[in-house]
Amino acid sequence: MRNYKIKPPQIIILIFLMILVLLAYVLQMDLVILFNESLTKLVMNGVLVLALIPMLNVGAGMNFGLPVGIVGGLVGLCIAVNFRLTGFFGFFMSLFFSLVICAILGWIYGRLLNRVKGREEIAGTFIGFSMIPLMNYFWTLAPFQNRQMLYPIGGQGLRPKISLEPYFYNVLDNFCLLKIGALEIPLGLLAFYALICLFLYLFFRTKSGRATLATGENEAFARLSGIDIGRIRLLAIVLSTMLAGIGICVYAQSYGFIQLYDEPLSMAFPAISAVLIGGSTGRRTWIFEAVLGAYLLQTIYLLTVPIANEILIPEVTEILRTFITYSIILYALLYRDKRGISH
Amino acid sequence: MGNILEIKNLSKSYNGIPALTKVNLSVKAGEIHGIVGANGSGKSTLMNILFGNPIIRETGGYQGKIAYAGKSLQAKSCAEVIRMGMGMVHQEFALLPDLTIGENIKLGREETYQFTDRLFGKKLSFIDRKRNDTSAARVLKKLGIDVDVGVKIINLSTNTRQFVEIAREIARTDLKLLLLDEPTAVLSKDDASNLIEALLGLAKDGLGILFISHRLEEVQQICDRVTVFRDGAVVSQYHKGEISVNNLARDMIGHTVQLANATKRAMKTRPAIRFQQFSVAMPGEEIKDLDLTVFAGEILGLTGLSGHGKLALGYGLMGMYPVAGEVIYENKKIDTLLAKTNILKGMYVLPDDRQALGILPEHSVAENIIFTGNQVKDMFSRNFGRSFLGFIDQKKAHRYVDQVVQDFSIKCSSPKQKLKELSGGNQQKVCLARALTVNPQLLFVAEPTRGIDISAKEKILNLLIDINRTKHTTLVIASSELDELKRVCDRIAVMVNGSIFKILFPDSPDLEFGLALAGEEGTYA
Repeated sequence: MRNYKIKPPQIIILIFLMILVLLAYVLQMDLVILFNESLTKLVMNGVLVLALIPMLNVGAGMNFGLPVGIVGGLVGLCIAVNFRLTGFFGFFMSLFFSLVICAILGWIYGRLLNRVKGREEIAGTFIGFSMIPLMNYFWTLAPFQNRQMLYPIGGQGLRPKISLEPYFYNVLDNFCLLKIGALEIPLGLLAFYALICLFLYLFFRTKSGRATLATGENEAFARLSGIDIGRIRLLAIVLSTMLAGIGICVYAQSYGFIQLYDEPLSMAFPAISAVLIGGSTGRRTWIFEAVLGAYLLQTIYLLTVPIANEILIPEVTEILRTFITYSIILYALLYRDKRGISH
Repeated sequence: MGNILEIKNLSKSYNGIPALTKVNLSVKAGEIHGIVGANGSGKSTLMNILFGNPIIRETGGYQGKIAYAGKSLQAKSCAEVIRMGMGMVHQEFALLPDLTIGENIKLGREETYQFTDRLFGKKLSFIDRKRNDTSAARVLKKLGIDVDVGVKIINLSTNTRQFVEIAREIARTDLKLLLLDEPTAVLSKDDASNLIEALLGLAKDGLGILFISHRLEEVQQICDRVTVFRDGAVVSQYHKGEISVNNLARDMIGHTVQLANATKRAMKTRPAIRFQQFSVAMPGEEIKDLDLTVFAGEILGLTGLSGHGKLALGYGLMGMYPVAGEVIYENKKIDTLLAKTNILKGMYVLPDDRQALGILPEHSVAENIIFTGNQVKDMFSRNFGRSFLGFIDQKKAHRYVDQVVQDFSIKCSSPKQKLKELSGGNQQKVCLARALTVNPQLLFVAEPTRGIDISAKEKILNLLIDINRTKHTTLVIASSELDELKRVCDRIAVMVNGSIFKILFPDSPDLEFGLALAGEEGTYA
């Protein structure tokens, strides 16, 4: 944070964002409402972005295997809904279940990644991909009892979209919602986000956290200094996976639905795009970069929808989104390779 | 013979900070022109300009005139310069690790089968491996080394890599000027003199050579002319015959150096550590069945040609490579060699490759100094919450770091400055400071003065002597700089083929060292 430099991707994104805001103004959209929504979107997706940080900082690259943690979180959510837990109790129990499951999944995932050192990103992508069909079996066969989760006909197998309306929909979003005229600031939600940021910040100041940073920067150095590299990497990967579990719980309570089956597949990419927009180069990443990136990317998503609907055909929104997400990742990969040569 | 290279009034500045001011320099065909200067004196900037490094244009170009082979040089890229017949050997290696020596040397200029030449054209023709390899071997032989050209680069020691790198340049038939940036820095004395022989031969054939080196004896030995740089300007120029190491050193740093020198002692105290039948499987630096006893409180030098295992001892001790044999430390056998437990027992290793293994370049000076002490011994942790949390007691750490920075006179703008911004000498001081923080009884240091300029070298050596005398730390210094070891050590062990060949004393005659290094039993009266 102390030596944050603004780089071309941020400049491009900022310009794009300004154009969008200007367009929204010209099209007479309600900017205040859009701003309110941008805050919710930030936290809704932001935790998933934060989940990338431990792995980036231990030198394991961008966590393309984020779906592993997301799937763990989804199982946690399903368990909470199965027992019809509602309100804050329901939400926190789903967090609890998610953390337990993600810890186990993360441990397995970490053991795998420790065996493919140096190629974590591509291995993670495929571990994430192979997790999905495996979990599809689970979703159809797992003995969940709550009728509201199951297919209405046949009564077996989970629905692709489970509504959280009767359980803990928007519990965080509406907690301590500060209303000043049209301006709505979700204080509770932001506080929860800040808490996770604080947790990460404190983690990197602990002994293990410092060892994590040192391992990411110079593994041989860390080894010579008596650090157990395998253990530290495992710790960072488990932490990443657990944060992803929390991330999807926050996302679901905001969105209102648990999305199963193929949905988690594509969720890693916007998160990775966001952290890159924030200024990360695939190595040490500051919390500030993750927050900034999440805000910029989500606000752009948020603004493109109504604007594209207004001036273009509606379907173009999804195209634009996907285009932005993937091209940012591509840009970052290009940029990183260039750095590699000049050093 | 005429000038191949002529530089007139060359100036260059980075963001307003001058790096070179009004430099005049020329290189004749068949001449070896030496350039010496302390770190940051502008040598690398000069190289970058000559070799068309894009960084020069990106930072605003240069002023002055450069004529190459009679024409004005306006290099836009390295490729253009190479086409004009200039070759450069970098400090960092630019070799393809997965190709063999032969393939690397002949890359882009491969020997091909004539038949397929005609069939598919030169570019798509099949490579004649045999002819390729023999021609590569011939070039290597010219440099005086004998290796199997079928070996992959990745399996070579740094020493051999340097030779391959040079071989690749001189294998070119169109070469007119060769720029050598510290070609002997990573070489042992013996290999360095081999290389020098080869360079003299090349110069005789009419090649112009620009030779940058920290090793002043070499410069004195081979250069026809020497230009001394200080703070970006030429301070003096000498012709062959008037070159003296003392003058060069004085001109480089602007004053004379006080050489570090320790009084010699005969140490026969209790053994601090004993190695028995110790082997380390470090590629390119293997140790085989080594037997060595290090006495408590002594300074033991470890020397040998590179590739003979002097660097591997410390790494093996820290469990970086597979080991075999016995290590007895303080009369107890150590079963498994783990960095953490060994540090706790009082051993510490500072590696030779400072940039890759020895520092955290992006971390601050302070963080580097306290890192190991905090991780292994919880020296700077707050007490609450037991050590697994281990938040740093900032006050305690600050006090300690400030003291160390002062004691070691580490030059930095503040302890918060990133370590990568410091000079090599100061980085080495930070490494030593980090080692001393854990208060080791036994300290292994490998190549402590590599890549450090002449005045900082003596400071580091004095620091090592000081550590030994005041803290009674047993030191094992692995180095290829024999004259430095002679000035500092109580005993010097010479390694040949991965084990101790002979243990000599600093006052042993040079001849004896020479023979021992070559692995030959001398006969003296």
